[in-house]
Amino acid sequence: MTAPLDPTAPAVVAAPSGLPAGTIQGRSLGQIAWMRLKRDKVAMGGAVVVVLLILIAIFAPVLVGWFGHPPNEFHQEMIDPSTMTPKGGTGISGDFLFGVEPLNGRDIFSRVLYGARISLLIAFFATLLSVVIGTVMGVVAGFFGGWVDTLISRAMDAFLAFPLLVFSLALIGVLAQFETSLAVKGDTLRILLLIFVIGFFNWPYIGRIIRGQTLSLREREFVDAARSLGARGPYILFREILPNLIAPVLIYATLLIPTNVLFEAALSFLGVGIPAPTATWGGMLSDAVKYYTVPHFMFFPGMAIFITVLAFNLFGDGLRDALDPKSSR
Amino acid sequence: MVTYIIRRIIGAVLMLAVVSMVTFAIFFVVPRAAGATADDFAARYVGKSATEETVGNLADRLGFNDPVVVQYGRWVKGIVAGAEYDTGAGVENCPAPCFGYSFISHQPVWNDLLDRLPVTVSLASGAAVIWVLAGVATGVLSALRKGSVFDRAAMGIALAGVSLPVFFTGIVSLVIFSYGMGITAPGGSFTPITENPAEWAYNMILPWITLAFLYAAGYARLTRAGMLETMGEDYIRTARAKGLPERTVITKHGLRAALTPIVTIFGLDFGLLLGGAVLTESTFSLNGVGKFAITAILKNDLPQIMGVTMLTAFFVVAANLIVDLLYAVVDPRVRLA
Amino acid sequence: MTKKSAAAVVAATAALALGLTACGGGDGGTKKTEGGNSGASAAKDVANGALEAVFNPSDKKGGTLKMAVSEDWDSVDPGDTYYAMSWNLLRIYGRPLVTFNPGAGAKGRELVPDLAESLGTPSDGGKTWTYKLRAGVKFEDGAAITSKDVKYAVLRSMDKTTLVNGPTYFNDWLDLPKDFKSVYKTPDVNTDQAIETPDDQTIVFHLNRPYGGFDYFAALPGTVPVPKAKDDGVKYRDHVVASGPYKFEKVEAGKQYTLVRNENWDPATDPIRKALPDRYEISLGVNADDLDNRLIAGDLHVDVAGSGVQPAALSRVLSDPAIKARTDNPTQARTWYTSIIGDVPPLDNIDCRKAVIYAADRVGLQNAYGGEFAGGDIASSLMPPSIGGWKKLDLYPTGTGDVEKAKAALAACGHPDGFETNMAYRADRPKEKATAESLQQALAKAGIKLTLKGYPTSDYFALYAGKPDFVKKNSIGLATNGWGADWNDGFGFMSQITDSRTIRASGGNYNLSVKNPEIDALIDKAYVETDTAKRDALWGEVDQKVMENAYVLPSVYAKSVMVRGTGMTNVAVSGAWDMYDYLNLGVA
Repeated sequence: MTAPLDPTAPAVVAAPSGLPAGTIQGRSLGQIAWMRLKRDKVAMGGAVVVVLLILIAIFAPVLVGWFGHPPNEFHQEMIDPSTMTPKGGTGISGDFLFGVEPLNGRDIFSRVLYGARISLLIAFFATLLSVVIGTVMGVVAGFFGGWVDTLISRAMDAFLAFPLLVFSLALIGVLAQFETSLAVKGDTLRILLLIFVIGFFNWPYIGRIIRGQTLSLREREFVDAARSLGARGPYILFREILPNLIAPVLIYATLLIPTNVLFEAALSFLGVGIPAPTATWGGMLSDAVKYYTVPHFMFFPGMAIFITVLAFNLFGDGLRDALDPKSSR
Repeated sequence: MVTYIIRRIIGAVLMLAVVSMVTFAIFFVVPRAAGATADDFAARYVGKSATEETVGNLADRLGFNDPVVVQYGRWVKGIVAGAEYDTGAGVENCPAPCFGYSFISHQPVWNDLLDRLPVTVSLASGAAVIWVLAGVATGVLSALRKGSVFDRAAMGIALAGVSLPVFFTGIVSLVIFSYGMGITAPGGSFTPITENPAEWAYNMILPWITLAFLYAAGYARLTRAGMLETMGEDYIRTARAKGLPERTVITKHGLRAALTPIVTIFGLDFGLLLGGAVLTESTFSLNGVGKFAITAILKNDLPQIMGVTMLTAFFVVAANLIVDLLYAVVDPRVRLA
Repeated sequence: MTKKSAAAVVAATAALALGLTACGGGDGGTKKTEGGNSGASAAKDVANGALEAVFNPSDKKGGTLKMAVSEDWDSVDPGDTYYAMSWNLLRIYGRPLVTFNPGAGAKGRELVPDLAESLGTPSDGGKTWTYKLRAGVKFEDGAAITSKDVKYAVLRSMDKTTLVNGPTYFNDWLDLPKDFKSVYKTPDVNTDQAIETPDDQTIVFHLNRPYGGFDYFAALPGTVPVPKAKDDGVKYRDHVVASGPYKFEKVEAGKQYTLVRNENWDPATDPIRKALPDRYEISLGVNADDLDNRLIAGDLHVDVAGSGVQPAALSRVLSDPAIKARTDNPTQARTWYTSIIGDVPPLDNIDCRKAVIYAADRVGLQNAYGGEFAGGDIASSLMPPSIGGWKKLDLYPTGTGDVEKAKAALAACGHPDGFETNMAYRADRPKEKATAESLQQALAKAGIKLTLKGYPTSDYFALYAGKPDFVKKNSIGLATNGWGADWNDGFGFMSQITDSRTIRASGGNYNLSVKNPEIDALIDKAYVETDTAKRDALWGEVDQKVMENAYVLPSVYAKSVMVRGTGMTNVAVSGAWDMYDYLNLGVA
């Protein structure tokens, strides 16, 4: 909800925390920003958690090997055979750090760790896709203007008019029917599909912002100056405008990641995520809701989503503040 | 101004047409490209142990044997001019706008949607009141006391609010307040406000708060940022220098400017929500437009899917249009753009 | 599949049923609770109290019976429904020719005449069945019910293009003229060769081959009379015309049904219905967990679906003795199983199929369906025990998986190191997902690698697992499945899922794996066998052959943990539906 909260065309309204990109110049950008960021303890805290999460995702098999059990392994000895809930309520012990799932006794700790892999993988690549499409479209629309701009802007409007979640649900269902005719299968296919759907439908949010930025940059004095010095279109585009778009792209990409984590969780929650038995946070939550009387089952995946999204939001906020001196805290 | 309005309205209608074509293509053309036959479509809607003849007859009856363009044309015609529905025993007239009949329940889609709309409108408007009041108030106070304990706590909670999935907060609050303490409704029931306002509110209060929490957080952050930005502007300094009381400076000059983008975003958020708060409605089992959409997709009820997509798109496009028109009124430069 | 539960008879021949009817007519309602002043909660709660006897019997009228359902409901039109809950419930507003005796356990499996004066009279070696209607029975508008209304109802229910949901038994067995398509499309075709109505009280059915169990057909909702003038095809479900003691006051599809007393119902014409409550209020689309909570709290009387409480409520119900005393735990005439599909190599080899069964963790599968109470007993055959002809088979171990035997079977089939295949399941059914996950774990131990494929329930049989083309192209070797009997005998349970000739290339098949000429021949023998005991034995043999050939891996004979709402009288779990009998419940 945070990042795309700015769906209005910045051509109409300046982005709420409008980025006066012109005031940040060349090389000093990185240095100044890094100095500011370092001083922002909250953002740095977020960054540390983000790095930790990435490490956890990468080294999940190792960590699970040390502290847990294979994520799909059943432990039915942990389950009360009449009520199907964990013996002793949760099953939390030194052996099962987060307890076990009802019904089959799978290790929740291992599943939450493995869930991080899917969640982050999809969120990162979907964001990358959105950013690439959004930036290209936004720059093209903003830089060339005219009918190109009209066409792209209308396309963005149309995208934003679709009920995103409903549409993704439907699209994933329809596309899955093609499975036999595709080269990739199973989890890989679903991951690619989710990356595509989430990334493809989110690009207009970035696209609009970048278009607005490009529009305003195009009219800036330094661009005029370059033009009057005889610079051609490509030069202006690649040497004057694009470098100044790095900051907003970076900020909105960071803020889009948590949104995509939530989006992926929602799709998994609604049953169109990665198929069983692969662990995903949204999928675990959707199972856990049916066992709300065994609340530890929903607590851990819920918290995993919360911590991940919060960490990215904190870091993204800090990044915004660092790159944009005007909206200081 | 009039030409601008007309231009925008035509644009909005064209947008809806595009949305309908894309939706239609996804559900009718894409499966065909994947090799599905008319009988495959019909096979979803027959009963147990149906013969191939029955499947064929049903494919005829539901019109799957016609070219996709003809099917789309029929759908559009229904909306514009109404349609007739074969009930088996006779023909029922379905007045415009007719979004067809469900392939499964055989109820007119439009009536079903109208039936679900009050739930979604109640949910969206109640939540909106809460989130706008809470969000803007928190944002303003935070901005005025920047760096204070209040500011930090409020922004901390706000950040938590946008970081929690609504289906998680929803079920947790249900377990605590409804199933556990029994002080709120357990979800799933809806009483129209016209029938019993107290019961209406009782049933909706938990979904409102859950949904509002998510949005209030975002609005608080936006308001705070907006306030900080405007309060630093030169004209605020001028206003203060004129000797205007601080209260006037804040409300008349600061807040007004800071709220403009909020109003825009509110319009769009609200429009989107009217088209169905899918996750909230699912979590609380509210039979609104969003849950209708999910059920339609799960059952593959094509006319319902088309109908609900169009309704949602309509609200988004309409909200966009209204916001843009309001802007044009406020800022004449926009009209030329 | 849509049928939630099933009817089951142990061994009732038509003749036996006839004999029992004589004493069943009074419904044993003579014994009443003493001191009916408190009426509502006169009886002490006891677990399984409604399984074998009527719990808290009473004749006291009045009150509102509150029911709710969280699941889908296809339709309340008697000619257009295939849900057990509606077959059970519709008898409060509709009267079929014959119906199941409202009562507990086995008594509920007896057929008794309802709209008809007596059970059917066969002639022509079982090809012709005659029923006489009771005199003085009226529709809710006061019009007299004639045999023509019954005939019309049966014929209309056969139009599967319009009324898609119901069963097709009449389509398959009535001796219809070739040019008859449907009452709507060919209203003028003479159908007397299939159904005759010589006078207003008599109806004669002519079959295309003899069938001794026609009374089960006569008990189908399709025989509930429908006045032709009020029929408008699919829309009839919005205003069903009552012939029973209650009529619809309000029909809000997907939201609520309310029923009130039908003044034109005459108790003198109806020996089986007590018609106790003044009103029925049925809420639809209720949150399943909320429904359980309300049931436990006493705000609700009955969960119409009758499929038991949700997992969340289960632990609460079983661990609280006061709530447990209000439960009934019937075994249904339903088996949950996994089809082992021989079309997909290497499962075309019987030993490879057996390896799957040996390797499966049968306790794990039981747990997947909810454990011993909510899931059911571990099944050793396809046919559930309440079906006539069932015998305990002991062909495979039922423990937690026998890897040694599985490996031996794999070696015998030429895949000593195992093989890979795909398993289909209904993605939106948590129990089937759990089944697939359990099998994946257990089979891996023997070297059989499963890839799981979830498909939406709505298209599962039409487009995926039930479509032979798709199954072969996607190499789906295993597929979760489940079946409940339409009624009490081998025919009602087995015919749709073991006869290979019912398999259609176009999809929509429920028989995914049983393709064996020997079995088909046995089924043919069972169809023409008129002696019930011999017929049952034949169906038992079909069951044995299915298991010997390892076409299915049975999980459980389904059970459900149902909670009785507080304050209900006359509660009985009918052996016909394995859920509460909705005909004679009271609340006063």
